[in-house]
Amino acid sequence: MTSVAPAPTPILVLDRVHKAFADHTAVDNLSLAVPPGVIYGLLGPNGAGKTTTIRMIMDILQPDAGSVRLFGAPAGSRVHAGRIGYLPEERGLYRKMRVLDVLVFLGEMKGMERRRARRSAGEWLERLGLAQWRLRRIDELSKGMQQKVQFISTILHEPALVVLDEAFAGLDPVNAQVMKDVVLELRARGATILFSTHIMEQAEKLCEHVCIIARGRKLVDGPLGDIKRTRGGHHLVIAFDGSVGAAARVFADTTLVKKVDDYGQYAEVELAAGADPQRVLRDLVASGARLSRFELREPSLLKIFIDLVGPEAAQAGVRTDA
Amino acid sequence: MRKIWAIVRREFVERVRTRWFWIGALLGPVLFGVVFFLSGQLGRGGGVKRIAIVDGTTTRVGARLAEQLDQSGAFQAVRVPVADGVVDSLTAEVRTKRLDGFLIVTDAAIDSGKVEYRGSNVFAGKGVLQRPVGEALTVVRLERAGVDPQVVARAALPLRLETRKITRGETAGESAAQSFSLAYFMGTILYTAILLYGINVMSSVLEEKTTRMVEVLVSSLRPFQLLLGKILGVGAVSIFQFLIWGVAGRLLLARRARLAAGDVGGADELFQVPHVTGATFAIFMAYFLGGFFLYSAMFAAVGAMSSTEQEARQAQQPVAWMLVLSFISMFAMLNDPGSALAVTLSLVPFSSPVAMPVRWAAGNLPASEIVLSLAILVAAIGGVTWIAARIYRVGILMTGKRPNLKELLRWIRTA
Repeated sequence: MTSVAPAPTPILVLDRVHKAFADHTAVDNLSLAVPPGVIYGLLGPNGAGKTTTIRMIMDILQPDAGSVRLFGAPAGSRVHAGRIGYLPEERGLYRKMRVLDVLVFLGEMKGMERRRARRSAGEWLERLGLAQWRLRRIDELSKGMQQKVQFISTILHEPALVVLDEAFAGLDPVNAQVMKDVVLELRARGATILFSTHIMEQAEKLCEHVCIIARGRKLVDGPLGDIKRTRGGHHLVIAFDGSVGAAARVFADTTLVKKVDDYGQYAEVELAAGADPQRVLRDLVASGARLSRFELREPSLLKIFIDLVGPEAAQAGVRTDA
Repeated sequence: MRKIWAIVRREFVERVRTRWFWIGALLGPVLFGVVFFLSGQLGRGGGVKRIAIVDGTTTRVGARLAEQLDQSGAFQAVRVPVADGVVDSLTAEVRTKRLDGFLIVTDAAIDSGKVEYRGSNVFAGKGVLQRPVGEALTVVRLERAGVDPQVVARAALPLRLETRKITRGETAGESAAQSFSLAYFMGTILYTAILLYGINVMSSVLEEKTTRMVEVLVSSLRPFQLLLGKILGVGAVSIFQFLIWGVAGRLLLARRARLAAGDVGGADELFQVPHVTGATFAIFMAYFLGGFFLYSAMFAAVGAMSSTEQEARQAQQPVAWMLVLSFISMFAMLNDPGSALAVTLSLVPFSSPVAMPVRWAAGNLPASEIVLSLAILVAAIGGVTWIAARIYRVGILMTGKRPNLKELLRWIRTA
């Protein structure tokens, strides 16, 4: 982990947080720090302890050991309720209430004044195309519309920290797009976003910082670029310009190459442990090959994730300790 | 504090906005009126009015009896001389509902007092006929013994027992019928309202649990604040409901007083317009609020430990039964408000919210007993709420199967 500039005071710090339920340990000695103004991904397969971690951050569960600090203070989330927006994994709203009333009520729960909550709710409903539904009851809305309303309720009070638990799960593509745009906009305004997911492609596109956990334990965390650099550098993409020279002999050197996918004019190479990519380049040139491309490729987040978690756990998304 | 207020307002506004609230508000008094009118009707003997008297006597006894019953004004009695097939034809009359029943009188009636009644409603018939027939026979016997008919008439003058309740050493203006109807009224309303609004609290807790709204709420305010706001909000709805009922009831009773002059006189004998004093009102409200807080805390705990409506319906039964029991024993208490059972029930906090107001309305109560009962009730509210809040706190975030007793005890300990 190579952080260059001195890190600013984190908005959220978990210090050796531990939580066990009757039959298993959900979160095991987890420490992490979320710097302000970033989109932070809490990643892990299902059952890794993401929701339990988030519930402890939100003061819904108490950790057995360790501490949670929000905005530099040890107090629970309720004290900071006005500065935090929380979208739980399982969704739901009062079914018989009117859209606007639900939003105003939830705004009040965050300490907003009624009038301000009403104005802000109106603006967001307008923006997300729900203005004409404001006086309808929640159960008259489609699933997608309800999701939008709940998302509005999370960000209505302009929170400095937005916590989204599996926010994109179950969203239709249009809503997912809307939500992504809003998340990016909040981030541009200076908000910090903590979101959990088990879908790595999504996290890769959005997150600047990630923390990967499995079975309640942290496997890696830090800025995504740093992780990729330290975890990557094992893959080469090579393209030849006519002459391949004695490339086959270079690829056969097991001290250099672990695995090769050779197409003749193109090859993907996985380096052996500790091998220097520069030596591969030198050897290829020395063997008489003409190269049009020599690229050290960063692994995808998914690849890192699978390497860390193990393919079964990552794919099946089940707890392996259960 | 502002957040609790927002919870209270939401519970109140959302409930009062529903159609069901207004249906209950309007239908409640009507329903009570109907129930009272019907009980009045039942008290009158199920309408045994038109009867025939099959006269198998050799003397004038049969004719005299018919005369006496007819004159009493309560019956239309016709004398029918005994003949072949007369019983069959009268039975047919009863079946076609032209007749309510008939008496068969023979000479044996004078000596052994044996009279037979056949009719569609023999239970009511027995209740209604026993006394007038007995009195009529007495008159006939006295006449046969040669007593002066004028003396007989004076001796047969019916009794009019007037009752006045003694409250704290003073004779109140209330009659027995009034106290009875007041006690009955209060018991029924207390039982219904505590049960109804307690279950309202339960379903409100359950809704937040099943929609997972509770996660968002609990991350913004403490579970106890949420519970408190909820109970206060639903409580405010019930008081609003009472207000509507009170106004509607007053209008209805004013109207009924006018009606009473007419035909419904019989109903009035048993159920009279109760005289509600300030003290009675205070007792009613104190025990309603006490009972509501006690039971809604328990119902909230039940809602918190259930995951579905069905589970909750099952789990609430033990709580509801405590209320039902105190309601059922109301009738025994009305008979003897001073009995050991009645005293016990009015001190035990789970039954006192129904039992104590009933005893208050029915009989003479020492103030010390009320103070003791209220003190126990308040203490119980403290204890029960403490336990319920702990169950609530753990339960609202739990999903899956309902906890057993052991797990529940752990919740209470660890919360």
